[in-house]
Amino acid sequence: MAEKKLHQLTDQDGEATRDRPWIFRTYAGHTSARASNELYRSNLEKGQTGLSIAFDLPTQCGYDSDDPIALPEVGKVGVPINSLDDFHLLFEGIPLEQMNTSMTINGTSMWLLALYVALARERGEDEAKLMGTTQNDIIKEYLARGTYIFPPEQSLRIISEMYEYCLERIPNWNASNVCSYHLQEAGATPAQELAFALSTAIGILDSLKQRGHFSHEQFERATGRISFFVNSGIRFIEEMCKMRAFGELWDEITEQRYGVKNPKFRRFRYGVQVNSLGLTENQPENNAWRILLETLGVTLSRNARCRALQLPAWNEALSLPRPWDQQWSLRLQQILAYETDLLEYPDLFDGSPVVQSKVEDLKALARAEIEKIDGMGGVRSAIESGYMKTSLVRSMAERVSRIAKNEITVVGVNKWQEGIESPLVSGDDGGLFKIDGESVKETLEALKAVRGKRDAERAKAALLSLKAAAKSGANMMEASVECALARVTTGEWAGALREVFGEYRPVTGIEGQRLGLEGERVEALRKRIQRFTDERGRRPRIVVGKPGLDGHSNGAEMIAVSARHVGFDVVYSGIRLRPDEIVTSAIEESADVIGASVLSGSHVELAEQLMKLLDEAGARERIQVIFGGIIPQGDFERLAQIGIRAVFTPKDYELIDIMERIFSLIESPAAAAE
Amino acid sequence: MRSQSPTDLLTRLDRLGVSMLVSEFEDQRPAARERRAQVLSELLAAEHRKRGVFIGITGTPGAGKSTLLGELARRLLASDPELRVAVLAVDPSSHISGGALLGDRTRVRVDSREGRFYFRSQASQTQLGGLSPASFDVCRLLMHLYDCIFVETVGVGQSEVDIRFLADRVYLVMTPLGGDEVQFLKAGVMEIPDTVILNKSDAKQAARKAYHSLKASLQLARPFDGDRVEIFRTSCTSGEGLDDLAAHVHQRVVALGSGSDLASAAQRNHDREAYFYRRWVEREWGRQGKRYLEDSLGGAEQFLEESKGYDQAQTAFGERFIAALARC
Repeated sequence: MAEKKLHQLTDQDGEATRDRPWIFRTYAGHTSARASNELYRSNLEKGQTGLSIAFDLPTQCGYDSDDPIALPEVGKVGVPINSLDDFHLLFEGIPLEQMNTSMTINGTSMWLLALYVALARERGEDEAKLMGTTQNDIIKEYLARGTYIFPPEQSLRIISEMYEYCLERIPNWNASNVCSYHLQEAGATPAQELAFALSTAIGILDSLKQRGHFSHEQFERATGRISFFVNSGIRFIEEMCKMRAFGELWDEITEQRYGVKNPKFRRFRYGVQVNSLGLTENQPENNAWRILLETLGVTLSRNARCRALQLPAWNEALSLPRPWDQQWSLRLQQILAYETDLLEYPDLFDGSPVVQSKVEDLKALARAEIEKIDGMGGVRSAIESGYMKTSLVRSMAERVSRIAKNEITVVGVNKWQEGIESPLVSGDDGGLFKIDGESVKETLEALKAVRGKRDAERAKAALLSLKAAAKSGANMMEASVECALARVTTGEWAGALREVFGEYRPVTGIEGQRLGLEGERVEALRKRIQRFTDERGRRPRIVVGKPGLDGHSNGAEMIAVSARHVGFDVVYSGIRLRPDEIVTSAIEESADVIGASVLSGSHVELAEQLMKLLDEAGARERIQVIFGGIIPQGDFERLAQIGIRAVFTPKDYELIDIMERIFSLIESPAAAAE
Repeated sequence: MRSQSPTDLLTRLDRLGVSMLVSEFEDQRPAARERRAQVLSELLAAEHRKRGVFIGITGTPGAGKSTLLGELARRLLASDPELRVAVLAVDPSSHISGGALLGDRTRVRVDSREGRFYFRSQASQTQLGGLSPASFDVCRLLMHLYDCIFVETVGVGQSEVDIRFLADRVYLVMTPLGGDEVQFLKAGVMEIPDTVILNKSDAKQAARKAYHSLKASLQLARPFDGDRVEIFRTSCTSGEGLDDLAAHVHQRVVALGSGSDLASAAQRNHDREAYFYRRWVEREWGRQGKRYLEDSLGGAEQFLEESKGYDQAQTAFGERFIAALARC
């Protein structure tokens, strides 16, 4: 045997070896089941090794594609799935037994897993061999992402029942995946990300324990099935330390709190999507480097290396990525894993005093926060009381204000803004992906066909037994699989459970914000607003809300709080609103402005609907409409034609600028439009 | 642009029309008074005018007032196809900027296509907690257009006494886990409600405990009528107790508003106007003004009578008081 060198990675027999790479994925899906299937097959041909399915918002929120609230969103941010027939199409030519499939799905997680199981059964594949993950982390949906449906208690029940179903029947399935990804997107500091994610996992383990369906041996195995989905930001050394802290804390928690003896089941297993929040619309080509550095944070340290990785595309701050953009990101993973020597070494940081000290620091902060949440009665109470949301909103506001004050450097945004225009965005398509508007038809027709040709009695009976299980407390998984086989639709499945469980409206956390909005310009604007108030006998009023199903509410909340801060009366109407609800609010409240926030790409459709409704109510002249969100420059003119008076995008990060522009619209509507 | 007279709104409720009027009643500039007086005289003369009943909903933040209110409103609208319901929700203003965040709407889930329902948010402005200076003015309008007007206020404390004078019935909302009853007892708020609602009563045992501790607190705070204060237990998650509560509210609205006892309704209106008129004088003209009203103008009731209306009495007071000051 050769002399063992410390830098040499060796296998069980002492032979030099190199690690197998992590699973390469791309978060993908759009337009229709057919289009997404084509995309998946071409990605797999390019060397992708797992699937990460993006569902559209109606599917995530439990609506059929033809529901009025769903229509503008069908196929926009992911693939629409209405029934098992869509799943047959989506996975055509992809063997389930060999595929590792991750589904970013939460409110309707049980339904999508049931569809996957039903698909395996109908195709004659072995259910027990299925591999993958349903994200199923409802906590971060309440906190950041907004696609929750049911209240926390029922959501935790659904997650627990999926663990109970999967443990023996689909042993390689991660029933849930504690996702701190969106916590960072919503502003979480590393310590908050650690604490909130681990508290969520604690909540799941507590729930499994309390339900008492598992023996201790089963409980240990179930603990081993809890996986995490983590974010990796641009401060990549700190991120690497965060991953090490995650691993050490999870080992500690599972051993000390839950007595998990087998170290294998205490391992912190995680997948990653690197940070999208820090990607900029300005000089978007710079994002390629950001993505690379963020990738290093979760791959460099072997002991804290991710199991699966998906990278955003350089143009994600502009629109959905095109196939080429996704390919470019995949190539980065392949170069790192196969061209470099990264996978040939043991851990590079073991024994580094700097890394160890940083990790200890993060762990101490996280432990203190976990204790605090424990003290409140656990993660459910911390959600219901609004504590977690308020903390996040506060961190986010601090981040934004530090950028505004140039305390954080963002290249191309608050420094070195001047540059040569990128040839990447000067092609015919402007570097953007456009959904084919006609494709909705195909999905709607398929839905109609399913309803027409299914055995109506069987579908009805399946829904009845689902409701009966929901009421009695029996496991709903098998009833859901029967619904899938009976061609029940997504909206019907969720609708049945909505009837039994009700629908949740969470605390907004909007009150917790502190802004970096101080200084002379703020004072001056407040004076202008006070003068307006004295002269007109009323304060300027703005209605802020999110039409459609996209639930990323942080931007809207920031605008609402800033507006109050400068002296507006602000009616915050929240998320998941129909356009007519927003218009009614604005009319009833005598608002001067409607501020609508849209990140799903449906801005044109929603703008048309809002303006039509204002017209019909005779209020178009009285109420100005402005839009904010991920809106490409190319659509500005179209929106202006429809009647939208101003559009704000992530480029407009100075809150005081935004406030001044909005107030100018109210002060003299005509002048500001120039 | 459509133009509707106030009385048109009685036959056909139009949201934009109502909102525009509400804005005029919120306008606290002297110039707005004349128009208000004119609108009110038109409405008072109208045959089909409503005699709205005011239901006060108050309690600590987080007690679930708005969600509960939405459930109540939906049930009232469904049970009585003739009923018109309005909500005036008051939220606190920022002391720094004067702006306010009005968030109650999100939780009051009534279908926006329901034309018999109207929701308006108001900022409390400089008033601590309780009502806004314009709340009463808006109520003077809404009472002619709606059968039932819920007035929702945040917080508990001395300023909440306003709601006692505004509302025909006050419902105090608390949660079984909040230990609210002790807080309320301390703040003297137990003297305010006609009915107490223990909301979020899905935690069964806690709800039972809170119910008994609440009864005891009421006995302590109101030794003479503590027994008569009704206590409802509700849960907006399970729907428990909501139908009973809605029936209770409906019964009060019908009993107080149907015109069966016009004399006492008129008396209540006079008392209300006198109270809020005194509050207005104090706010606008200070303690000296209040003394002048009592000593030289014969008090609020008499001066309102003499001036032939609330808005007129505001204008008249200014003229008289300034003249009096000039003579000094």
